[in-house]
Amino acid sequence: MKKLSTVALLLALSFVAAVAAVRMTKAGSARDDKPAAVALGAIVPDFTLPDPDGRQHTLASLKGKNGTVLIFMATRCPVSNGYNTRMEKLAEDYAARGVNIVGINANSTEPAGEVKQHAAEKGLTFTILKDEGSRIADRFDAQVTPETYLLDASGKLVYHGRIDNSRAGDAITSNDLRDAIEAVLAGKPVQKSEAKAFGCSIKRG
Amino acid sequence: MFEARTNMRRILLAVVSLGAALACVGGPGARNGDANAATDSARAAQGASKPSAAKPSSDAAGVPKVTEIKEDGLKTLLNAGAGRERPLLVNFWATWCVPCREEFPDLLKIKGQYPADRLDFVLVSLDDASEIGKAVPEFLTEVKATSLPTYLLNAADEGAAINLVDPQWGGELPATFLYDRAGKLVFKHKGAIRPEELRAAIEQSLGAKPSEAGSQK
Repeated sequence: MKKLSTVALLLALSFVAAVAAVRMTKAGSARDDKPAAVALGAIVPDFTLPDPDGRQHTLASLKGKNGTVLIFMATRCPVSNGYNTRMEKLAEDYAARGVNIVGINANSTEPAGEVKQHAAEKGLTFTILKDEGSRIADRFDAQVTPETYLLDASGKLVYHGRIDNSRAGDAITSNDLRDAIEAVLAGKPVQKSEAKAFGCSIKRG
Repeated sequence: MFEARTNMRRILLAVVSLGAALACVGGPGARNGDANAATDSARAAQGASKPSAAKPSSDAAGVPKVTEIKEDGLKTLLNAGAGRERPLLVNFWATWCVPCREEFPDLLKIKGQYPADRLDFVLVSLDDASEIGKAVPEFLTEVKATSLPTYLLNAADEGAAINLVDPQWGGELPATFLYDRAGKLVFKHKGAIRPEELRAAIEQSLGAKPSEAGSQK
């Protein structure tokens, strides 16, 4: 009799454990509905994306000697467009200092041809990749344009967020991305590793 | 034997109900966990200022009035949810944001369905401060959204403002948040609203009894 109860108890307990496990998994995924995002302080895993001409690039091949900036950007978002000149200036200013700027367009509404034309019209000379299906945006959990990610020389994510605090560019009092790049170049820890801003949502397919 | 079965059944019953209780952990409670901090600060700030959501939103000439606020103003606006008479619906938008513009007809239907004595509904524009007398009121006039109290958030630190609303929000627009009478964040939606979903959340917040925060006054 005792044996039977014990078996029943064990069975029931394993059922409870299973239910709890399922619930916990569900709760975990319900919180963000996405796979785990790239985390601050962690090495960013390599990925491959095409440029608007269809040439494939790996992150490894685009890494700067001293660091890499990934910028999720758009062709039609007024906030992203407000930063075109500043993004190009970043690429110019830091190329010689070993920090490479890479744009990523993850908007399902903006095809590769439009990305290419937009870059030509706005004079953007840095590499821009097309993230079809927003696969890489999902991996970074990028939400808006422009949204930037700074990787140090080792490929570790050390800053995530806005370029600066002024969408119009006329009242910059906090140059968050540049400050982070300068810290990386100086071999110092990044003081402010995250700075959110309002922007256009990335249009996922 | 019979007794043994009864015992077994009891054990099973007890364990299964324990399982059910466990299964609820991580359900709605966990989802709203991030709103608790906001609720606490709202409670702390209770009585510090009057809810400003009920202010008239247009002047005598019918031009929509847009009030500039900074981080503290936003905090007051959201804190106004603590122990309030009505739930508070806040929509963050901008004239430069296409999906924001597109969702206005749906927002206005919600407004039409829930008059000011049932629901406080405010708009928070993220347009540049220079547009406070131009693009923002012009657009509101164009879409006939003149009866909604409208604020323009001119934050020195947008990240702080975003975190004030919801630390899990990345700042993408539009975004809509619903606070119940206790000032607790009970619904959030990033991207253009799905009216049915929002209505259901409003109904639920209206149906909920005046919450603890109200009785703590």
